[in-house]
Amino acid sequence: MSAETLSGGHSVATLSDSDACAREPIHIPGSIQPIGHLFLVDPASGAIWCRALTGARDRRPTNEAFFRAAQKAEYISDLMGSRFLEEVNARVTENGGSRHIGNRVIDGASFDVFAYETEGAIAVECELRTDPDRDGPSFDEINRGFLEAISKRGTLSEVLRLAAQCVRSITRFDRVLIYRFEPDWTGVVVAEDRNDVLPSYLDLRFPASDIPLQARELYRINRTRSVTDANYTPLLIDPPLHPRTGRPIDLTNSTLRSVSPVHLQYMRNMGTGASMSISILRDGRLWGLISCHNRMARPVNYSRRSACDLVAQLLAIRIASIEALEIAEDRRRLSQRYSELLAEMSKSSHFSTGLVSRTDDLLGVVRAAGAAVITPSGTRVVGEAPSIASIDKIVAWLSLRAPFDVFQTDRLSSECELNEEVSSRASGLLAISISQLHDSFVLWFRPELIREVKWGGDPNDKKSDLSPRASFDTWRETVRGRSKPWQIAEVDAATELRTAIVEIVLRNAEELAAMNERLVAANKELEAFSYSVSHDLRAPFRHIVGFAQLLKDLESGNLSERGHHYIETIIAAAISAGKLVDDLLRFSQMSRVTLNKLPIDMNALAEEVREMADPSPGSDAIRWRIQRLPEIFADPVLMRTVLQNLIENALKFSRDRTPATVEIGGWQDDDETTIYVRDNGAGFDMAFVGKLFGVFQRLHRVEDYEGTGIGLANVRRIVERHGGRVWAEGSVGNGATFYFAVPSEVEPKVQCET
Amino acid sequence: MRDLKPILLVEDSPNDVELTLAALERCQLANNVDVVRDGAEALDYLHRRGTYEKRNTGNPVVVLLDLKLPKVDGLEVLGEIKRDAGLHATPVVMLTSSREERDLMASYNLGVNAFVVKPVEFEHFFEAIRDLGMFWAVLNEPPPHRQRP
Repeated sequence: MSAETLSGGHSVATLSDSDACAREPIHIPGSIQPIGHLFLVDPASGAIWCRALTGARDRRPTNEAFFRAAQKAEYISDLMGSRFLEEVNARVTENGGSRHIGNRVIDGASFDVFAYETEGAIAVECELRTDPDRDGPSFDEINRGFLEAISKRGTLSEVLRLAAQCVRSITRFDRVLIYRFEPDWTGVVVAEDRNDVLPSYLDLRFPASDIPLQARELYRINRTRSVTDANYTPLLIDPPLHPRTGRPIDLTNSTLRSVSPVHLQYMRNMGTGASMSISILRDGRLWGLISCHNRMARPVNYSRRSACDLVAQLLAIRIASIEALEIAEDRRRLSQRYSELLAEMSKSSHFSTGLVSRTDDLLGVVRAAGAAVITPSGTRVVGEAPSIASIDKIVAWLSLRAPFDVFQTDRLSSECELNEEVSSRASGLLAISISQLHDSFVLWFRPELIREVKWGGDPNDKKSDLSPRASFDTWRETVRGRSKPWQIAEVDAATELRTAIVEIVLRNAEELAAMNERLVAANKELEAFSYSVSHDLRAPFRHIVGFAQLLKDLESGNLSERGHHYIETIIAAAISAGKLVDDLLRFSQMSRVTLNKLPIDMNALAEEVREMADPSPGSDAIRWRIQRLPEIFADPVLMRTVLQNLIENALKFSRDRTPATVEIGGWQDDDETTIYVRDNGAGFDMAFVGKLFGVFQRLHRVEDYEGTGIGLANVRRIVERHGGRVWAEGSVGNGATFYFAVPSEVEPKVQCET
Repeated sequence: MRDLKPILLVEDSPNDVELTLAALERCQLANNVDVVRDGAEALDYLHRRGTYEKRNTGNPVVVLLDLKLPKVDGLEVLGEIKRDAGLHATPVVMLTSSREERDLMASYNLGVNAFVVKPVEFEHFFEAIRDLGMFWAVLNEPPPHRQRP
């Protein structure tokens, strides 16, 4: 690689780059390559503050006179003429890059002159033009040929190969590579053009540490760099410090900058005597490099480098358009599936139902092998996915990380601990969160794709911090635990799906809230209505009963048997209606009364109710079995009603048993306290257990057992208002047991229903 | 007959009047039962004014007072009775249509003497009225007679 390794070389992990940077920053080497002269100059006066000069002993024989003048000169105008400073000041901008001032011939030697600003000084660089004149097609022609070739439709690999060819035609180096950076800054050689002098590096990978962070930063700013001879001796800048800053001179924009000795060693290990590289930038980021290597030392002058830079820039533009086209194509292919999913979700009661009912589309929209839709009500899985237990583990791990909207990885097992079976199914994970508060996610999985990759030498081979890798022989690695990476269009599809689902969920929530409000309002109205109706109905029934009885008393002598029967029936019916109304009234009151929760001694309460209910306590007709009952935290008045209803029922339905047995018991758990009332009476068919607690639901005929069927509904209502539950067991002819449980709370809570 | 104080029934529903009178009749009390049909009439009667200017009977031995009355509400009548120096010793029994109204009443703390929730079952109603009638009218000692102007 025509790139620079720091003396602090490390193994593949990228985090240590920043440590290495601090140790040997490459932009302040304090020296230049012996290919020209450097002058650090005062922008105002043109006084030469610092200089580094290439002399005869550096095998540059033709500038002896200039060399001596340059050693002595006090002002840059002495060397470059009186108009020079003005010209330079006009061209150079603060924080701008190096400017090519022009080609100068001084004392018979030909130079390319550059200038750039560096922390308040101007650096003037005179690079010796030493390479022979070109023969063959001009750079212009070569570049035009390249542009034409890549303008036609071409795949990315074709275009990259053409670029390598073009740069090799220009530079005539032994080998030209197109080197592409992966997201973790590992480099891969994706195209190559070469003769047989140097070995092929095509498809090889190089660790991120080969071109560490500091180098990559510099390459973003200064697009070309070269080493014409790996065996050069650096020329020190004298004096070494910038007079304005007191620190070493920043040579980021320098053409003559000397490279690290470690890098030179690296080149020698690689078997190259000369190298050059040009940055390929996309949106200001480093996409890759065009790297040129030559076995022997070889100079590359400015015009050659410039032509290659043009190739790099044209290439970058072409890469951008090809990649954009690919993404657009990809999006188009996925959008069909996306639309189907959207349509299905809109029709479904819940978005998860919509998603899993279109398996192909759900998987195809991101090209996954398996998927899981996780909601508070459960996890639904399609395709090739890990087990639910493993999915739960993955979700738990995701939830522990920072909150996310979309998450993707192609190497899940390196981040989350998974067993092998899961790893083979879920090396790739693409996840979207719908709501992290309520545990709603959609996860997509990709299986492990085992690949063999070739490294240019063992990426972990580092003898010590100071010497780079010695061997560049191909080193094979079997990559495990990775899936096919997620493409931009696929991740975008997932993101859009997330937005759509979130909107649907929100809309549903709003509708639900509105519906709830309407329900609550309707309920209130209904209760108010039923209350007032019941209230107003009492009087007429009272009147019917009263007058019917008066009539009976009055005309009893004149009435036939049938007449008596009719009147009795009228009275009974009216009384019954009155009872119904009373029950309804009490029932609708239940929801409006404020709960006043206290600890209740259930045994005492049971005793009171028993006394009221049992007409003849001494007799053997009813056998009571009241066990030790736990304390309950509830409203005493309402609890009395509950016990009354249950005990009255027990007695009513067991009255034709001798003896009628009523058992009352209970127990306390951590979270709830349960009481039951059991009788040995008529019982009920378990098939109808669901109807037992319904309002006005009866399971027996009224002539067999009287009652309006509201007692149990009352019980249920009261218990549920306490946050508890009711249930029952029974069998026909063998009695019944009625249970209720209320939460075992400690703190008193006043519940008010609206 | 001047010594026998009347029973005042304040009730707006004709059916309820008839039923109550029938029940009271069964008690075979010697007392007469006077009936007024709304709260305003009740107050006129008690204060001997308006149509009842010429009433020459004494204060009622007991007032059976329905809660819901037209013109002047049962509660208001009760309030007036209890505030009036001449009347406040008069026993008042509130007749209510439901237990909830009874609870409502309790919070007013106006010094009502007794409640009866008019039950649907007539027997109970009879008993309730009868018990009241017997208690207040016959068995109970009326408060000392006050001079009427």
